[in-house]
Amino acid sequence: MSDFRCMIVDAEHSRIDPAAALEFVADPAFGGFAMFVGRVREQNQGRAVVGVSYDVFEQLALAGFDDIVRRAQEQFGPRLKIHLAHARGRLGVGDVAVVVAVGTPHRDEAFRACRQVIEAVKHRSPIWKQEHYQDGSSEWSEGCSLCETQARDDQPESRHDGHAHG
Amino acid sequence: MKVEVSLFGAFRDYEPGAAVTLEVPAGARVADLRSALAAHGRAHWPGFREGLLMRSAFASPTCVLGEQEPLPASGPVVVLPPVGGG
Repeated sequence: MSDFRCMIVDAEHSRIDPAAALEFVADPAFGGFAMFVGRVREQNQGRAVVGVSYDVFEQLALAGFDDIVRRAQEQFGPRLKIHLAHARGRLGVGDVAVVVAVGTPHRDEAFRACRQVIEAVKHRSPIWKQEHYQDGSSEWSEGCSLCETQARDDQPESRHDGHAHG
Repeated sequence: MKVEVSLFGAFRDYEPGAAVTLEVPAGARVADLRSALAAHGRAHWPGFREGLLMRSAFASPTCVLGEQEPLPASGPVVVLPPVGGG
């Protein structure tokens, strides 16, 4: 069985399950586990949010996920398991949008790998978020330009100063 | 040659079908397609934000394309506005 599991979960048919993510990265040889769970929050920049729609270019996103987790393995492995799942479609407040779970022998690698993976997903994956507001309007969130980040893809801990991601 | 451009994110608002077909010269590069899409947007998309296109990348189904790369010989090209998952 692979040490990595990456997926896009269509909200119309299924939900991301954080417990299943932790179970996937479990291993008798591991003592350190870290997990990031991103949920839809009820407010953004002072506006009441009632939901979010995620648009995903799935083929490229999954190829990118594979690259992201393999980079994490190169940096923090070789003993490492990662589960990465991101939602597509319409979510309500409190719904899980993304989960990264990491299992490693010790806690330091787990924390660092988890952080690296979620930052890469946010900054490099072809995923777009449209927020729906209580007043009935909707807006696409500002994000990271892949034109600007492409040159930094080879730097796993590249910084994105100036961006304000949730 | 004709190039099918698939649209994601904010570009979907401009085109209900989420795709446009543009004519570009044979041997065109990504930069040429960007210019063609900008011209199309100015002509056909009310409220078109050209600045958004300037911050957008282009990709094949498997990789992000550099500005000076030739367009793929076949298959769609995808325009990727600034990303923001999570």
